[in-house]
Amino acid sequence: MARVELRGLHKTFGGGTVALDRLELDVASGELVSLLGPSGCGKTTALRIVAGFETPDAGEVLVDGVDVLGLPASRRNMGMVFQSYSLFPNMTAKANVAYPLRIRRRPKAEREARAVELLDLVGLARQVDRYPHQLSGGQQQRVALARALAHEPAVLLLDEPLSALDAKVRVQLREEVRRIQLELGITTIYVTHDQEEALSISDRVAVLAEGRVEQIGTPAEIYNRPRTPFVASFVGTVNQIDAVVVSPAEGAVRCGERVLVVDGDLSGHAQGADVGLYLRPEDVVLVTDEPEGTPGASGTSGASGTSGASGKVRSITFLGPVTRVGVDCELGALVADVASDVALGLGIGDPVTVVVEPGRMRTLV
Amino acid sequence: MAALSPAAPATVRRPRRRRHLPLWHAFWILAAAAYFIVPIISLVQFSFGGRVDGHSAGFHWYATVFADPNFASSFWLSVQIALETVALSIALLVPTAFWIHLRLPRLRPVMDFVSVLPFVVPPIVLIVGLIPFLQPFTFIYSRPEVLDFIYVVFAMPFLYRSLDAGLRAINLQTLAEASANCGASTWSTLIRVVVPNLRSAIIGGSFLTVAIAMGEFTISSLLSFNTFPVYIFNIGQSTSNEAAALAVISLLLTWALMIALYVVGRGGRTTAQMAATR
Repeated sequence: MARVELRGLHKTFGGGTVALDRLELDVASGELVSLLGPSGCGKTTALRIVAGFETPDAGEVLVDGVDVLGLPASRRNMGMVFQSYSLFPNMTAKANVAYPLRIRRRPKAEREARAVELLDLVGLARQVDRYPHQLSGGQQQRVALARALAHEPAVLLLDEPLSALDAKVRVQLREEVRRIQLELGITTIYVTHDQEEALSISDRVAVLAEGRVEQIGTPAEIYNRPRTPFVASFVGTVNQIDAVVVSPAEGAVRCGERVLVVDGDLSGHAQGADVGLYLRPEDVVLVTDEPEGTPGASGTSGASGTSGASGKVRSITFLGPVTRVGVDCELGALVADVASDVALGLGIGDPVTVVVEPGRMRTLV
Repeated sequence: MAALSPAAPATVRRPRRRRHLPLWHAFWILAAAAYFIVPIISLVQFSFGGRVDGHSAGFHWYATVFADPNFASSFWLSVQIALETVALSIALLVPTAFWIHLRLPRLRPVMDFVSVLPFVVPPIVLIVGLIPFLQPFTFIYSRPEVLDFIYVVFAMPFLYRSLDAGLRAINLQTLAEASANCGASTWSTLIRVVVPNLRSAIIGGSFLTVAIAMGEFTISSLLSFNTFPVYIFNIGQSTSNEAAALAVISLLLTWALMIALYVVGRGGRTTAQMAATR
C-alpha cells in the first residue's frame, strides 16, 4: 500500500493543447480514487504520467513521498489495466498473469501458483489454459486485472477498464474490482467517464475539467454538494434556475415573483446580482391539480411553506424505476424524477404544481 | 364460390439450378493456367528428353546432376547464403520495424518508400554502386558471405512489408506498455511479446527471402561465386537437358519451401486470431 501525490502536474501536447493544468491530487494509502471527467479533460494523461508512459512538462509524482518521475515505467512497481484489451495473444491466461513474475525471474512453481491463485480471485479458475482469443471481453479484462496484481504492485491503475464491455458485464465487473481492491487494500486510481461507475465504487471522486480538479470528495459530497456548475451538470442531471440576489446575508433570492431562501453562500454576491440556482430532478416534487382527497402525482399535495409554481407537463421519459417529467412553469423549464407507477397518470399538457424545498436549491461558485 | 387462389400442390419440387461456367470465364481460366503450366510441362518433358547411348534418357540427366559434386557444393552454398541472409535480415529489420511502429510512427511513410527502392532500382545499378563500397573490406569482399549483405537489401521489401503488416495487425502500443508495466525492458518486450506475435509475418518474409537468395543470379555471377543459379546457367551452356533437370529440381525445392510455409503458417496462430483479441 502506498500514498500517491500528484503535485502541480502540467502537460501540453503538440499544437498547444493543455492536457493538465497544474493538477494536484492526493490518494491515501489503500484508497480508491476515481478520476471522472469528459473526454479530453486530462484524466487518462494524468494516469499515464503516473504509470510512466507520458512525461509531464512540470510537476511531481510522489509515491510514499518519493518522486518516481525519473523511473521508467518498468521500474515503478505499478499494476495497470488498460482500456483496450492488452493481454499477450501468444500466452494463455495463466502465462499472462505469470508474466510479471517471469520478468522478475521468480521460480516457475511460485509464479504458476500465484497465477492460479489470482485467476481464482477474479473468478477464472477454470480458464487458466485458455488463450485471449478464447475468452470474452469481460474475461480478458479479469485476466488483465489479475496480471496487474501479480507482482504485488504498490499502486493499481485502471484506465477505463470496463468501457469496451456491455452494460451488464460492466456493472458486474466494477463490483468485483471494488471487492478485490478492498480485499487487497491496494491504493487505486480509477479513470472513467462514467459517473455511475465512479460514484458506485470510489472512496473519493475527483472531477476533472480542462486539466484541473474541479472538485474532489466522497461520491455523496460530489453528488449532493457540487461546488461548481460544471460538477453539478456533469455528475447527474441538474435543473438550472435564474435568480437575482435580494439579501446576501439571509441567502434570499428572487425567482420570478417569489423570494426564496436557498442553501449556499451568497456572501460573495452583491444585492441585485444574477445567480444560478441548481436543483436535482429528484428534489422537484410535482403535485397534480386534482380534487381534494385524491393523491397527487408525487403523492404529496399542498406542501405548505414551499415554492409552489404552476406549470404544464412538457415531456415524459420512462427510465425504469423513475420517470423523468419535463415541466414548463414560472421558475422556468424543469425536469422532475417521479416514481414510475405514480407517473402513469400523467400526460403531456397536464397541469401540475411544482413544489421545491428552497433548502434543496443551491447556488454555486 | 371458387377459391381465389389455387390450392398448393402437396409437394413442391424446386427446379434444379444448373450452375454454368460462362464460356469466357472458362476460356480465361484455361488460358491463365496454360500460360503457367505449359512451360513447366515442357520443362519436365525436356528433362527426360534426348537419347543416351541409343536409349531414351529417362532419369539419366537427374542422375548426372546428383553425381556432379558441383551440384551439392553450389546448392549448399546457396542454402548457406540464404539462411545467413534470413538471419541478418531478421536481426536488422525486426527491431527496426518495431522501433518505427512504437516510437517513430512518423517515419513509416519514409520506410515505406525506402523499402520499395530495391524494386525500382535495377540489380545491376545496385551492384555497380555496392562494389566500390565493399571492395575496401577485403576480408569479406572475396568471400561468398558478401552476398548476404547484398541480398539483405533485395529481401528488405518482402521482409519489411511482411513485418509492417504483422505489426499493424497487433495492438503494439498497448502490448508494449502492458509489458513495460509488468516490469519488462524494451528488449524483453521485443523478444517475449512482439516476436512471438509476429511469427507468421517473420516466417512469411523469411521464406520469400530464402526464395530470393536461392534464385538470384546476376550479382553472384558478376562477383564470380558459383551459387546454385550460376551453376544451373553454366550447365545450361553445355547440356540443355541437364539444365532442364536442374530447373525441375530447383522448382521442386521452391514448392517444398512454399508447402513448408503453408504448414508452418497453419501451425501457428494466425494474425486474424491475434487481432481478435484486441
